[in-house]
Amino acid sequence: MTRQPSSLSREEIALLARVAGLDLAPQHLDELVKSWHWLEPVLGRIPRQRVRTDEPAHVFDPRKFMPTKGDT
Amino acid sequence: MTQSGRAASLADLTLAEAGRRLACGDVSPVELVEASLQRIEMLDPLVHAFITVDAQRARAAARAAETRIRAGGYRGGIDGIPLGVKDNIDTAGLRTTSHSRLLQDHVPDEDAHLVARIAGAGGIVLGKTALWEFAQGRPSWDLPWPPAANPWSLDHQPGGSSSGSGAAVAARMVPAAVGTDTGGSIRFPAASCGLVGLKPTYGRVSRRGVHPNTFSIDACGPMARTVEDCAILLGAMAGHDARDPGSIDEPVADYRAALTGDIRGVRVGLVRHWYAGVATAEVEAAVDAAAERLREQGATVEEATLDPLQDYVDCKTVIAISELYAVHERDLKRRPQDFGASLRSMVMAGALLLADDYIQALRWRAELASRLLAQFARFDVLATAGWLSEADAYRPGEVGAVHSRPPVTMPFNVAGNPAINVPCGFTSEGLPLSLQIAGKPFDEATVLRVADAYERASGWRDRPPPLIASEYA
Repeated sequence: MTRQPSSLSREEIALLARVAGLDLAPQHLDELVKSWHWLEPVLGRIPRQRVRTDEPAHVFDPRKFMPTKGDT
Repeated sequence: MTQSGRAASLADLTLAEAGRRLACGDVSPVELVEASLQRIEMLDPLVHAFITVDAQRARAAARAAETRIRAGGYRGGIDGIPLGVKDNIDTAGLRTTSHSRLLQDHVPDEDAHLVARIAGAGGIVLGKTALWEFAQGRPSWDLPWPPAANPWSLDHQPGGSSSGSGAAVAARMVPAAVGTDTGGSIRFPAASCGLVGLKPTYGRVSRRGVHPNTFSIDACGPMARTVEDCAILLGAMAGHDARDPGSIDEPVADYRAALTGDIRGVRVGLVRHWYAGVATAEVEAAVDAAAERLREQGATVEEATLDPLQDYVDCKTVIAISELYAVHERDLKRRPQDFGASLRSMVMAGALLLADDYIQALRWRAELASRLLAQFARFDVLATAGWLSEADAYRPGEVGAVHSRPPVTMPFNVAGNPAINVPCGFTSEGLPLSLQIAGKPFDEATVLRVADAYERASGWRDRPPPLIASEYA
């Protein structure tokens, strides 16, 4: 299963950007349209057919976030 | 020899050579700093390697080091040596910009952990080197400072994102510099500039005080003209930092002592399918010849097959863009005009990513890393190309261009293991080519040992860039 390519239109991209809190100038929206169309195929290549227990490469060690006296 | 001739000669010393002469009193830190400053004054108007040079501060540090060394307090290693530090690494009291208008006047209160370690070892920070904006943009002309140029050909890029560190060392303005590497940002400029660049294991060098690119991938490491110099600088930078959640408390080896020159019996896995038929013909021939040289030196070389290079690139890209957006969201909403266009276009794309995209990419990372690291049951090191082409030509005005070939450095960012680039030849036009050697997590010593043995046998390191050669003409 892969993320379906959506080929979002400029207007749809502008809407999604607004939902994300970005009120973009036309020039910046042009940049986003170009970069999104570069990134979208990359997203389509991420494997998503996984079993529920597949761990991401992320481990939280609470000891790392205890206050320290300073540099070692 | 005239005074200016001696200064030029001192600027050409490697870090190790300068250290040996400091140890016997043949040269002083003050002379080394003056030689570097003179070289910067002469060449940096062409190379643009530095954003900030603090001559006053460097001279004061050099005088203090000289006094201490004369009193018998020489510390070895990087003591008394002028160094460059990439400008996304905080230096207390010294402007640190990330080559961005967003931080144009940013003066940190505190040194990054690695800078404090360098200072504690007696290293002298001469200045802050240029980079791609926040170590992520591309060479841009819409920023407050120009992009750095390649000393091997000023019409070519020095690679990035540690572009200024690469250019400064190649132009022999400093014997070594610090870079950061999230997708190849130490190794790419090392390849482009004919240098050695080491990305250590994730967690080997503290990221505290280093402006984030991608929290879960960022690494800091040395760039120099020789493997030995990288070993010396890494030894000074590496060490556990309880205040960096990514720092891992593993013993720091004596990296310099690991450079025995003997690689007999070392098992090398050659990842040929990442470069054969993908890289330029000259890169392919040079890396094949380097593998043969390793074999002649007593290593066993067998081909290794890993996941396709593009898989690592895709995985890293999604993780990086996701984290990059979180880092820059506030500025993007408040002052988007202050980003360079190249960085801004990449950051904005992160606004459209889903949490699911990020988590699935992290799951992919676990899978890709596991398969790559499993190769170390069979091999001591992996070898492949350091970059898939020579340095790119500059095309001023071109913004946000992506690489024409996939970054062959990225697999080792995804897997988090150490990897080094070492020169392995030149194109017919005289531009450097590079071999990459990667090892087990925290086994920087073996990576350095193999790279050093190859470097000694190959002799590529002795050729100066035309810019330096012309200085003596």
